[in-house]
Amino acid sequence: MAEGAITNQIRTLRFLAGEMSQAELGQKIGVTRQTIAAIEAGKYSPTLEAAFRIAEVFGKPLGEVFQWVKS
Amino acid sequence: MPYREKSNLLALAAMLVAYVPYFIVAAMAPIQTVVAPNLLLLTLFAAVSVVRLVILGVGYLWFRVTTPEDVREPADERDRAITRRSTTVAYYVLMAGTLVAAAIMPVWFAGWTIVNAALFAIVLAEIVRCLVAAVSYRRGWNG
Repeated sequence: MAEGAITNQIRTLRFLAGEMSQAELGQKIGVTRQTIAAIEAGKYSPTLEAAFRIAEVFGKPLGEVFQWVKS
Repeated sequence: MPYREKSNLLALAAMLVAYVPYFIVAAMAPIQTVVAPNLLLLTLFAAVSVVRLVILGVGYLWFRVTTPEDVREPADERDRAITRRSTTVAYYVLMAGTLVAAAIMPVWFAGWTIVNAALFAIVLAEIVRCLVAAVSYRRGWNG
């Protein structure tokens, strides 16, 4: 199995979206602020559905929000 | 700290404070070879169960007063994933403990020794569940 990790650009995208707060983003996709913080910190990989919802909020394709980095 | 992480730590603290003294006393009690009521352990078990309920009650009341908005927040996918993981690990602990108490211990022991072993399996499984959840919240979980 290929080893790797999921990284994301959520922090940057929140900044570009007018410094959207974690709580605001969480509310839009139906998770808590702490879960958004955990996703940003790479401590939690969201479900595919939540990942698509996050991408939709920023109007970006999934691949621009989440990346698979091989180790 | 998220409400569910706090309530999980509270549950862990309540289990440890209540049941560690009980099992220390139970371990030091003479081994019972006949089936008969053990009033000392029965009373102690009732007392520690009340202590646990009081700790939980006071803790949840404190959360409700200090962070009422967090308490109302429903569990999200991360909370549910952590619950699934911790419950699965605890299930194996409970199964192993139950097998020991119900299938192996009756060969050598009887009465309250077996009852206490079964109770210990339940308490240990619950402690493991809380610990796995605590680690998952603190250190993260990608699974």
